[in-house]
Amino acid sequence: MRLLAGLGIIGVLLLFVWERVDIVRVGYRVEQLKTQKIALQREQDELRVKVSALTAPDRIAKAATEKLGMLPPQSGQVVMVSAADSSPTMGERSPEVHVAKSERFWRKP
Amino acid sequence: MIGMDFCRGRRIVLAVLLLAGFAAVMGRLVQLQVLQAAELSVRADRQHQKAVTVEGNRGSIYDRRGKVLAMNMEVPSVFGMPASLDNPSGVARDLARVLHVRADEIEKKLRQERSFVWIARKVDPEQGRRLERLSLDGIGTVMEGRRFYPKGPLLSHVMGFAGMDGQGLEGIERRYDPYLRGEKRQIVLQRDALGRTVFPKGLTEQGPSAGHSVTLTIDEVIQYIAEKELDDAVSASQAKGGIVIVMEPKTGAVLAMAMAPRFDPNAMRGLSADRWRNRVVTDAYEPGSTLKIFLAAAALEERAMKPNSTIYAENGKMTIAGTVIHDHEKAKWITFTQAIQRSSNVAAAKTAMVLGEDRLFRYLKAFGFGERTEIDLPGEATGLVKEPREWGRRTLASIAMGQEIGVTALQLATAVSAVANGGWLMRPYVVSDVRDGHGQVVAQVTPQVRRRPITAETAQTLNTILEGVVTAGTGSKAAVAGYRVAGKTGTAQKIDPATGAYSSALSVASFAGYVPAEDPRLTIIAIIDEPQGEAWGGTVAAPVFRRVAEQALTYLGVSSQEPMKLALAAHTGIGAGIGPEIRPEIRPEIRMVP
Repeated sequence: MRLLAGLGIIGVLLLFVWERVDIVRVGYRVEQLKTQKIALQREQDELRVKVSALTAPDRIAKAATEKLGMLPPQSGQVVMVSAADSSPTMGERSPEVHVAKSERFWRKP
Repeated sequence: MIGMDFCRGRRIVLAVLLLAGFAAVMGRLVQLQVLQAAELSVRADRQHQKAVTVEGNRGSIYDRRGKVLAMNMEVPSVFGMPASLDNPSGVARDLARVLHVRADEIEKKLRQERSFVWIARKVDPEQGRRLERLSLDGIGTVMEGRRFYPKGPLLSHVMGFAGMDGQGLEGIERRYDPYLRGEKRQIVLQRDALGRTVFPKGLTEQGPSAGHSVTLTIDEVIQYIAEKELDDAVSASQAKGGIVIVMEPKTGAVLAMAMAPRFDPNAMRGLSADRWRNRVVTDAYEPGSTLKIFLAAAALEERAMKPNSTIYAENGKMTIAGTVIHDHEKAKWITFTQAIQRSSNVAAAKTAMVLGEDRLFRYLKAFGFGERTEIDLPGEATGLVKEPREWGRRTLASIAMGQEIGVTALQLATAVSAVANGGWLMRPYVVSDVRDGHGQVVAQVTPQVRRRPITAETAQTLNTILEGVVTAGTGSKAAVAGYRVAGKTGTAQKIDPATGAYSSALSVASFAGYVPAEDPRLTIIAIIDEPQGEAWGGTVAAPVFRRVAEQALTYLGVSSQEPMKLALAAHTGIGAGIGPEIRPEIRPEIRMVP
């Protein structure tokens, strides 16, 4: 009986020690994951800045004209066509949605 | 027997020693855990815990379609510990190759009698990674938040910029700083014997929240169109600068606010306030004939004039208070409509005289001149509209021509929008909403009517007159193929700072209008400051209006009024061709089938 009680006490003590050690171990793991998360967050931010810079309208326009030989459409070359026959008078509300088709003419220089 | 006694004696000695040992340990325990408990507990906390102040990232700024215009990113700052360096010149050479800084400058820093020196703050992340790979002794990096403006100079005057410590200093960054700023919070970390962080005290403890994000009403594509066309016009006319504003007349939302020249908010060093001031809201100028829009509005609203009222234009020359007023075109009898379309100064002066000082002043104030528009941007000026009691003998005629009055470009855009939308003066705005980190809206801006200076009937009549400015008047170069345009040209002489009198060489050319005239979607103001050569609003600013309008209308999908006619003209080359404008006189008479 005494032996069992002694073993029980030792077991509880060991469980307590194991729990404390495990908390510290998990703590290290949490910190490691946090560091990893921060690194990934930084990488994501960096990529967002890059995407934003690469999609800047002036860069796209420059690439289109200089690398691809494109030109902006000139007057009359783009015609927006509305599906609705709308000729609202001033002050009237315009239709919410215009289904528009465009005819684009691109010509190399 | 003797042996048994000896053994017993040894046990007793052992027991006494053990008891003494336990007693000593117990005594020490009582000393540590009871007598010195409070003091030691504080000391232990100091060694195991570390309190750090952390600031959440500054919020991002987006355009109306969610494109990133400004955001924060953590980047490395490079430091050196001179005492730990064996070969400062070699390290300086390695650093110089990566950081693109002169090696001798770095070496000078590394030879200082200090334990810590900054080599370069907030460098490019790629440079930081290259330095990490080099793994130089005595050189390290720490991460710091840096504000990035990935579009460079685009919209720079509206965006403003943030300082080194992340505080907004100008523009949107300053006006919305309380929202954009990240939360500052102190968190307590547990450290182990080696000083490594184990976890925050209390596992539920969260880091500080990032600042809110701000979404603008500005569209980066329309902003680009406005900036590009403005730059081209400024360059072609060798002008000092210029402004283009694109606004939704029905809401007051600003779609583009372009200025030339611009600056890059990523490289602010050495720039003076003059370069980054948003002159659209801070500077007033004499608008010239664009002000005749509001003179006409007042005259029509007060029924002082009708579109077909006739005015004697004095053959293009009239003297008022000793000053001679000239017209561009000589005429004798003209209608009120023709007076506006031809921008007759003589007829404008006579209209103002019929209207009288008080009524003209009242309408100028009603259209928002002489007061802030209350746009959500810092540093807005009121402009200058003097009280009638301060007016001189010539003032009434001068104001009729847009002189002796100071307006900001934004006031002009807002007032023109009021004519375009049927008479409602709106509050202009550049931010549509503010959202927290979870995307929830915490503040939203909705269109606000400030007042109604004119009725819909007057606005409709004025609209017809202003359409005539483009179809048969001074603004023909503002015509956009396929759309009805209404607007007014303006050419204002500037005061010569040397003489204090109006200069014959310095002027401001402008065009203020809206499109499509029958259901306005865009108000566009184009102002070119000090153009050289032929410096008329109709020749310098009106083409900017046209080019911005035709691209923005296409981008927004606003349907053309005569699509079939235009399509045929574009295909056949008749009337439109590739490049030149459609000439109205040879447009084929084909109408769209409903």
